[in-house]
Amino acid sequence: MPELPRRIEAEPDTVARDLGRLVLTIVELLRQLMERQALRRVEAGDLSDETVERLGLGLMRLEEAMAELREHFGLRPEDLNIDLGPLGKLL
Amino acid sequence: MLTYLYAIGRVPLEPPDRPGVDAEPPRVIVEDGFAAVVGSVAPARFDEAALAHDLEDLRRVEELARAHHRLVAALPGDGPVAPVRLATIYRDDDGVRRLLRERATELGALLDRLGTCREWGVKMWSPPRPAADAQPVPADAERPGTSYLMRRRAARDADAHRRAQGTELAEHVHRTLSRLAVAARRLAPQDAVLSGRTEEMLLNTTYLVRREDEAAFTAAVAGAGASGAEIVRTGPWPPFSFATVDDP
Repeated sequence: MPELPRRIEAEPDTVARDLGRLVLTIVELLRQLMERQALRRVEAGDLSDETVERLGLGLMRLEEAMAELREHFGLRPEDLNIDLGPLGKLL
Repeated sequence: MLTYLYAIGRVPLEPPDRPGVDAEPPRVIVEDGFAAVVGSVAPARFDEAALAHDLEDLRRVEELARAHHRLVAALPGDGPVAPVRLATIYRDDDGVRRLLRERATELGALLDRLGTCREWGVKMWSPPRPAADAQPVPADAERPGTSYLMRRRAARDADAHRRAQGTELAEHVHRTLSRLAVAARRLAPQDAVLSGRTEEMLLNTTYLVRREDEAAFTAAVAGAGASGAEIVRTGPWPPFSFATVDDP
């Protein structure tokens, strides 16, 4: 079993990456929630075609932006997650 | 010296030819028709304070658990043997004799129930996710946003479908295996860090199986593997999950 680090090393490189990872994880959570909500509203059928298109475009751009940011920080999609222990994974 | 209790069976029971948790040679205490496999361990390492300290240390716990398990697994399998949980320690042999006398009825019932059954573990994971580039909804140049949403919806539905299928398969496998077992216990799904797998764990169960049903049980596990889900059987184990004799 690997030893847990006694403290978080405050190396400038890793701090930026770890902070980026945390922020991106939270943004990714919001993005997924928004997407699910959008799909529910589309399925409910009370949105005009224009609104659906706008929603879709917005979410699509957001996903593209997330991919770019991930690349910038050198993160894989599966890195954007937090293990909540007994509650399972955040995403 | 303290008396460390490993397992309880009926006479005659030979001590296994393996060193115990304190590298001591195991012996057998006989009382009232029961045979307890024990070892003499040093108080400096196994009294209450030493144990409380050691059980905080994962490495030490692992060492202890391995030695305990190695010894219990080496017990002869021709009669019922109930393994006792890790670190069950008595002040002396008389404490064990008293246990065998005072809990004779429960021990007898437990050993009858166990018979010569062995424990088998079964773990199952959902089949690997299909490649993400399979897009059932073609991209529409006119309405890229709408077709993006439709693609996401298809992916979400496929995911939900896959998950429901996985749960159903796990229930089916569990029912089938339970019919071939004397008893079954479901354990919490293992963490991906421990199992080293990214797929979702559908089943983590352990079954108490009669010797004569082992062939059918093995075949049923193999049959479940044909469904595409990854299924792993471990064992045979001493009936750890079904035979814990607690302290009185």
